[in-house]
Amino acid sequence: MWKFSVRRTLIMIPQIFLLSILIFVLAQLMPGDALSGTVDPNVDPERLDEIREQMGWNDPWHEQYARWMGGVLQGDLGQSFRFKMPVTELIGQRIVNSFWLSVATLILTYLIAIPLGITSGRYSDTFRDQLITGYTYVGFATPLFIFALVMLWIFGFQLGWFPTSGSVEPGVEPGTFNYFMSKVYHLLLPALSMALITTYGTIQYLRNEIIDTKQKDFILTARAKGASESRVYNRHIFRNSLLPIAAFFGFEITNLIGGSIFIENIFGYPGMGQLLVESISLRDYTVLTAVTLIFGVASILGALLSDIILSIVDPRIRIK
Amino acid sequence: MENKAEEVKPIKSPSGFSIIWRELVRDKLALISLIFLILIMAFVYGVSLVLDQDEIVTVDLFSIYEPPGEEFILGTDYGGRDVFGQLIIGTRNSLSIAIIVTVLTGIIGVAYGLISGYFGGHIDNIMMRILDFFMILPFTMIVIAFVAIVPKYSITTFSLIMTGFLWMGIARLIRSKALQEKELDYIQASKTLGSSNFKIIFTQLLPNVSSLIIVTMTLNLAANIGLESGLSFLGFGFPESTPSLGTLLSYARNPQTLEFRWWIWVPASIMILLLMLSINNVGQALKRATDARQRRG
Amino acid sequence: MSYLEVKDLKVHFPIKGGVFGRTVAHIKAVDGVNLSIEKGKTYGLVGESGSGKTTTGRAIIGLNNITAGQVIFDGEDITNIRRAKSDARKDVQMIFQDPYSSLNPKKRVMDIISEPLRNFENLSRKEERIRVQELLELVGLSPESILKYPHEFSGGQRQRIGIARAIALKPKLIIADEPVSALDVSVQAQVLNFMKEIQKELDLTYLFISHDLGVIKHMCDEIGIMYKGRYVEEGTAEDIFTNPQHIYTKRLVAAIPDIDPNKREEKRKFREEVKKEYDQSFNDYFDEEGLAYKLQPVSDTHQVALPERG
Repeated sequence: MWKFSVRRTLIMIPQIFLLSILIFVLAQLMPGDALSGTVDPNVDPERLDEIREQMGWNDPWHEQYARWMGGVLQGDLGQSFRFKMPVTELIGQRIVNSFWLSVATLILTYLIAIPLGITSGRYSDTFRDQLITGYTYVGFATPLFIFALVMLWIFGFQLGWFPTSGSVEPGVEPGTFNYFMSKVYHLLLPALSMALITTYGTIQYLRNEIIDTKQKDFILTARAKGASESRVYNRHIFRNSLLPIAAFFGFEITNLIGGSIFIENIFGYPGMGQLLVESISLRDYTVLTAVTLIFGVASILGALLSDIILSIVDPRIRIK
Repeated sequence: MENKAEEVKPIKSPSGFSIIWRELVRDKLALISLIFLILIMAFVYGVSLVLDQDEIVTVDLFSIYEPPGEEFILGTDYGGRDVFGQLIIGTRNSLSIAIIVTVLTGIIGVAYGLISGYFGGHIDNIMMRILDFFMILPFTMIVIAFVAIVPKYSITTFSLIMTGFLWMGIARLIRSKALQEKELDYIQASKTLGSSNFKIIFTQLLPNVSSLIIVTMTLNLAANIGLESGLSFLGFGFPESTPSLGTLLSYARNPQTLEFRWWIWVPASIMILLLMLSINNVGQALKRATDARQRRG
Repeated sequence: MSYLEVKDLKVHFPIKGGVFGRTVAHIKAVDGVNLSIEKGKTYGLVGESGSGKTTTGRAIIGLNNITAGQVIFDGEDITNIRRAKSDARKDVQMIFQDPYSSLNPKKRVMDIISEPLRNFENLSRKEERIRVQELLELVGLSPESILKYPHEFSGGQRQRIGIARAIALKPKLIIADEPVSALDVSVQAQVLNFMKEIQKELDLTYLFISHDLGVIKHMCDEIGIMYKGRYVEEGTAEDIFTNPQHIYTKRLVAAIPDIDPNKREEKRKFREEVKKEYDQSFNDYFDEEGLAYKLQPVSDTHQVALPERG
């Protein structure tokens, strides 16, 4: 087990390195630099060149890369030249918001997927199963952003059941119970919209897994020994099928990031996904770079986590 | 008797594709979807020959936000542009780019997967590590970042960027199938018969993964329509002068439009859903057809 | 001068392990095999699964990498046959064990049989078609079936297609890897006799690989017996079947079923005796690792793996 974990972690190092190179190249390709947007146009261009020289922007790329990497490792993601504050500070609150949105989405996804997947697998080829399979089929074919728009339109605007933007009611005192409830209230519709669409994969996985398991010899033996049907399912089948699901959440991070970009923009939810799109329209490239880096690292770590957990839970999946 | 061989009339068996086609046509839902798709495509591509794209995207300040009526079947948007015309051109553009991206990712993915799977060993190992890296990156994020910084942004660069981060799925599927196939004796036989690796990959291996390619590419086509419209929705797809279905939906990012002017974004949503569902139906039917063929052995 | 000569052939597969997947050990699938075949003869390679007989055949034709040793065919070194530019690649062909997986299911018979022709000979479409039809007739199949798919044929017919493909280039040596073991017993004899016929007709040399001594007896002039990658005994068919020297060979020969029901009891007793002897004297015939010793000549044609005397 540890051998696999060590090897899998070693694979991650070049991945992170590749990601940093990719983002660094992106940052280099970006039009202009931090000076072009900030300074007074009346400043002498020669003075600008001097500053550029001082800042080391004319150094060879590997030196610049090393300096940038060094900064990142110390938690310095640069200066946002729109908001005139360190990117780390700007990101702080956003990352917390995105984190809770992801947690809520994951919880809802599993709350929906597990009962539906189990029902669908246990009563396969019944009417119930067909309904659930139909739902996964439509879920698979519906783009998240369209579904989210429709949800917002119906429940946010037409019915007015949920707030249509923000992460909390303005003016509510932080730290109070009301503040907490308001946060949850704002999270609910975005998280539900994402969960309802992205859940199809988990449902299908569970269904196939259970249909597979229920024809295995050890289940037939358990039945032949006279174990009741519910005992067979609770003790034997679910345990086998649910563990891998729990491990998949690391892989879900990549999907959650992709989804959050849409969801946060549609629901006006101030998280990282919204910041990403904002930073581009504001041409705030340090922020763009930072957000991309954080998202990328999160995905890589998520995949690492899932791979290691899976190798413990299900040795079949262990790659060499 | 010398020319006997010439006189013999060979008995021709139906090819694999004609069998799949027969199965597909037998599937009612898939057949309806297919007919729908053909009609939509014929209509959209046909009408857009007549329609003048420039005229449709020209701002007309006297007819802003007209609800559907006699003059404009589906009303107008904030620039007074005809939504129906934009819907047709948008569908055409969305379909075209989805097809281009599907074909490009198909070519790259199939070649990558076949080579990785066929050679195996170290080559496979390295190629799969690279693939894993691309797979882990969140697609929307990385495409947005690229779209934002590409200097000369055009439809070509857009499709290339999409392709650059979408070839991995099919590559992985093809690779695992190729890994299985290459162990079979017909591949070994080809080696002993003097065929080069290149020839074996593309004339022996390729036909045996063809049904997988067709199924995957069909399903990818549906997914790519969704991805393109999603990116255009966020403002990182087609420029506004070249409307896509996603461009129409992006007007709904304005809460006023979302709440009060359904005619601008609802038709495009329905079009995307119908396209994706019907292409998926065809894809799933193809999948079943090819499976059934395997069962019959 | 022998037609095909294999000198001290070794095929080792690495075993990977550890965190970095380094090679930690080797499986010695073929470990020092020597054999030589006369032109027009059939040489049988016998052994249980895992004995290295198939790997030997595949190494000769270049499907497995040769770790060490030499393969000489018709006076020419073909150790790296896949890289060789010479006619050797045309002259050495193979018949595969499984007639189901050895024919590409997506190709028509025409394309399957003409694959070698397209690689080596410049024929027009028409010439190619005539050749394929001739080959089909030669192997006893209807020339009308050139546009059929492999799955429309029975196992025996498919193996005939495989043979037609192998002889399309008029090869001189054919490596037949268990060519009948996937077929029904009733069909086996047909295919074997047919192989004998074309051997005479086309002056073929066979390296015949099988686990079935009955089949080998029917086909082969000379026989080599392999165990765990090494030879235990080699000799003419007569040497092996009437005068087996190695205890392993004795057991194999004793295990051949006899059709005469009257001798059944006698046979059973004999088998038990041999088994007893095998268990008792195993250590005399194999070294500490359970591998065979070096071959020692018993007669001009007959060699046995025995510990060196003294």
